[in-house]
Amino acid sequence: MLEALALTKRYNDVTALNALTLTVAPGDVFCLLGANGAGKTTTINLFLNFIAPTSGTAKVNGLDVTKEPLETKRYLAYIPEMVMLYKNLTGLENLEYFAALAGKPDLSRDALIGYFREVGLAVDAADRRVGTYSKGMRQKVGIAIALAKGAKALLLDEPTSGLDPKASNEFSDLLRRLSGSGVAVLMATHDLFRAKESGTRVGIMKHGTLVAQHTTDEFGHTDLERVYLEHMRD
Amino acid sequence: MLARIIRHEWRTLSADSTLWVVGVAFIAAIGYGVWNGARWVGFQQAALASASAEEAERYVKLQTEVDDLQRTGGKVSPFRDPRSPSNAGGRLGPRYASLPPGPLAALAVGQSDLLPYYFKVSTDSRDAVVGATEIENPQRLLVGRFDLAFVLIFFYPILILALCYNMLSAEQEQGTLALTLSQPLSLATLTTGKVLLRATVLVGLVVVCTLAALVIGGVDLAAPGALARLGLWVAAVVAYGAFWFGLAMLVASFGLRSAANATVLASAWLVLVVVLPSVFNLVATSVFPVPSRMELVQAVRAASDDANAAGSKLLATYYEDHPELATGDAAQAMTDFNVVRVAVNDDVERRVRPVIVRYEQQIAGQQRLVDGLRFISPAVLMQSALNDIAGTGYERHQRFLQQVDGYHAAWRQFFTPLIFQKASFTDYRTTPRFAFEEETSGRVADRVTPAVLGLAIPALALVWLALARLGRFPVVS
Amino acid sequence: MILRIARKELLDLSRDGRFRVLSALVLIVSVVSLAAGWKTYTDLAAQHRTAQLATRDQWLNQPKKNPHSAAHYGVYAFKPASQMAMVDTGIDPYVGVAVWLEAHKQNEMKYRPAQDRTAVQRFGSMNGAEVLQVLVPLFIVLMAFSAFAGEREQGTLRQLLSVGARPHDLALGKALGVASALGAVLLPATALSVVALTLSTSEGLLADDPWRVVTIGTVYLTYFAVVTALALWVSAWASSARLALVVLLTAWFASAIVAPRVVSDLAAWLHPTPSAVEFQKALEADLNNEKDMKERLDRRRDDLLKHYNVASVDALPIAFSGVSLQEGEEHGNEVFDKHFGALFGRYERQNRVFQWSALVAPTLAVRGLSMGFSGTDFGQHRHFVTAAESYRRDIQRTLNGDIAKHQQAGQVYMAGRELWDQVPAFSYEPPTAGWVVGQYAIALAVLGAWLAAAVVLMMRAASTALVD
Repeated sequence: MLEALALTKRYNDVTALNALTLTVAPGDVFCLLGANGAGKTTTINLFLNFIAPTSGTAKVNGLDVTKEPLETKRYLAYIPEMVMLYKNLTGLENLEYFAALAGKPDLSRDALIGYFREVGLAVDAADRRVGTYSKGMRQKVGIAIALAKGAKALLLDEPTSGLDPKASNEFSDLLRRLSGSGVAVLMATHDLFRAKESGTRVGIMKHGTLVAQHTTDEFGHTDLERVYLEHMRD
Repeated sequence: MLARIIRHEWRTLSADSTLWVVGVAFIAAIGYGVWNGARWVGFQQAALASASAEEAERYVKLQTEVDDLQRTGGKVSPFRDPRSPSNAGGRLGPRYASLPPGPLAALAVGQSDLLPYYFKVSTDSRDAVVGATEIENPQRLLVGRFDLAFVLIFFYPILILALCYNMLSAEQEQGTLALTLSQPLSLATLTTGKVLLRATVLVGLVVVCTLAALVIGGVDLAAPGALARLGLWVAAVVAYGAFWFGLAMLVASFGLRSAANATVLASAWLVLVVVLPSVFNLVATSVFPVPSRMELVQAVRAASDDANAAGSKLLATYYEDHPELATGDAAQAMTDFNVVRVAVNDDVERRVRPVIVRYEQQIAGQQRLVDGLRFISPAVLMQSALNDIAGTGYERHQRFLQQVDGYHAAWRQFFTPLIFQKASFTDYRTTPRFAFEEETSGRVADRVTPAVLGLAIPALALVWLALARLGRFPVVS
Repeated sequence: MILRIARKELLDLSRDGRFRVLSALVLIVSVVSLAAGWKTYTDLAAQHRTAQLATRDQWLNQPKKNPHSAAHYGVYAFKPASQMAMVDTGIDPYVGVAVWLEAHKQNEMKYRPAQDRTAVQRFGSMNGAEVLQVLVPLFIVLMAFSAFAGEREQGTLRQLLSVGARPHDLALGKALGVASALGAVLLPATALSVVALTLSTSEGLLADDPWRVVTIGTVYLTYFAVVTALALWVSAWASSARLALVVLLTAWFASAIVAPRVVSDLAAWLHPTPSAVEFQKALEADLNNEKDMKERLDRRRDDLLKHYNVASVDALPIAFSGVSLQEGEEHGNEVFDKHFGALFGRYERQNRVFQWSALVAPTLAVRGLSMGFSGTDFGQHRHFVTAAESYRRDIQRTLNGDIAKHQQAGQVYMAGRELWDQVPAFSYEPPTAGWVVGQYAIALAVLGAWLAAAVVLMMRAASTALVD
């Protein structure tokens, strides 16, 4: 579903991303681990065509994102680190708006409430202004948008930062359900625990290069941490 | 897709209470501007009606006097005799040549508070007929009027820029832009939707409020040419708005922060609307300076002196005022004098014509220069378009002056033979009348179209540039 | 302490790119407008000189004619050019430049320069006054809006206060900094204008009145001080630099661009003027009042008969025709004084509304004062019109007196050069700066009040709002 082929991004002398090659198949939950500035966010921005690659290709469902910017976005859903919604609109209105932009303008109120329930949001929150939502709730709206959109690939940037353990857990459940229904997930995160919990594969990034790729079955929790820190040692 | 964006934008904007306050203030300004314009039109119409009434009254009196004299054969001083064609065409029976305000004159006061809009035409020389200016405190003329043109030229762009300066940068700063752009829509579509919403609301507001104000103000929209001019006015409003929307789009496409956008756009407004037009005036008057009329006064006097020395009788000048002191056959002397005076006036005008022509050429040159330069400033273009539509600009006034010239010539042509024949003038109803031939809508359109295009084409260019630049918009910093 | 703060402010500003661009703009515009104004003035002064000499020549070189013919021929009076119009052209474009002084009629001044220009002039001409009243306040606002609010956002304000800088000192220091930056930008233009004023010919209206230059300078300095203090006041209490800028820009727009027009409408509403047609009708109705004229003439005749102790007019040692002409003039003069006096009175009342409105918008006070001290306001125009009219009345008195003395019954009396010489050349003395001060007492008081209020506000805001 998601494919990076020798994807490179350079800013003047700085190489933010160095020849990244990875594949995320439907159902995969690929966790990109790495320090700040390792290139995780850059990778996501490249898939979203928010920045242009210096060389290499990013493909979504076989389509090159630079050549088919609008078509590829139909398959993608993006949950940024801070999910910012329109404060004056209710959760439901936000969902309706983004779903409409995504190509699903005729969803009924029931259908929308359905998505709300699916991501674990209380129905009475649906008609409250988003300005009153917690971070976790906003993130759930983001996922609801992904669901409403029928996205085949999900890009997540530090999804669990700032979430309390309960919200984090709920998030893990959601991820599991999504990957179960065949969505390809690419998640950039620091959260090693969550990566082991929810991820199927991990990739470790250091200074723009993907230095290691493993499946999570290979490790226990502590092992993952050890491997990670070893790679991080300079 | 576009419709969705537009609807969403409306929700977001209408939630902002400051915008409602500003909107109401703007509507109030439009209403006040139209009302002011309509009041000025009313004032002019009242003045013209008053002049017309005075003329009618005077004519009735003169005709009655003539009829009485014919009947009773009474005596009257030759200088007051209404039967003398020289008196009839000169001092007693002049008619007014008036310029009625155009059908949509309430839209812009323009130059109409400064330029004369009626002349009292007599057999006197043409330059004596100059200068029937309206009474107005010169300080008020200096300050200018709060009319609809003022609101449109100054406030309207500010409102546009205030609505648009942060249309992209706010979303970027508040974080919603990334989520929006991760949906399958291009930034160009998004921006177009945002601009369309703002444009429709604002232009719609201006047009509807103006129409309402015009109707409430009692302006007759069914008058000939009114609807055509109204159509041109809407085109001008749309074009001027399009320019500023285009400029805002272009600035937004550079991806600067809201504060920086505001600074750039405010500076642009200042330069294009405040600084450039005043610089224009400076340039126009420096390149085509009209020599002070003091020179004209002297030239006319000198020519007049020469002509008079050649043809007039010294006595007659004195007799003109004090017939009771004249000896001999005053009436005879008087009629001879009138004949001579016709010749003298003619001579004076011929001598003075080259001087006047020079003034007119300088003014025309100035006007031509401004007509060319105005394409640099949208504010000047808009002013010229609005003045032409309202009929308060230079060309319509020139048309009036030419028609007055024609009327003056016709007046003289009517009376001169009578004066030379020393005939008795008995029917005041036969004196020529003046009726201003209004410009056709076609002529107005011919003048307004270049101005509108001068706004629309740069607007389109700005939009095109903006859309092109949006491709490089930094969605993430 | 204050000087240190001021020095740092100046340094900060001089390194700011925007300040450089803005000051370059102000500099260029002020020098260009001064140059254009100087050229216009010298041209106008030369034309005035020529015209005034020509009209005097024409008067003196009249052939022998009856004095009343000469009265009808008349003389032209031309409004002299004011040197200070280089700074502020005021209402000069909108008032006539020439008036014909003839018998029986008080004519209006003809040929307004504005009628010979295009519609673009209604945007304003880029003269010194416009730069100083419109552009410079904007410049001050842009320099000062972030003085406190910006430092608060950056966090440097907290640091300043924590090292013990007194809020009062900060406020004054920043004000001084802004003032010095402004001074640096305006200095070239000011120096040039002073040079130009001293070099220009002494025939200008105000060559002998340096007080006007001094006062105008003081007025503008006060105005800039008011704007600076207000800008710093807003910067002190505004919660963000952006809010400060928005408030100040709105205030600038309202005061410099909107207020004059709104106040103009208010003034006209409070003191309306008639249309020219109505005015003319009323004037003529009074002038042609045969009854009044006849009564007056009869009275005069009786007085004279009694005085010379004769039975009939023919026996008078003076020609009654001369006397009756003069009575006609006197009657007309009364009528003119009544109507023109009322009209000009209305204009002056309208202009006083502008002065009072300065309580709301300080720009209006400066507008009036600037025009007043440049000699280009309505008060001084009226002064000239009155002087010209008084000269006209003197001419009529001289000529009619001559007729009374020399006219013989049954003959046509002709006079020549000796009589024309008796009429002196028209010389006009403009009013002094002191007179102008009297006219603008209200505006001066209001401007002073604004200064006091702005400084108080600024100081109070500095001491209370800063510490947060």
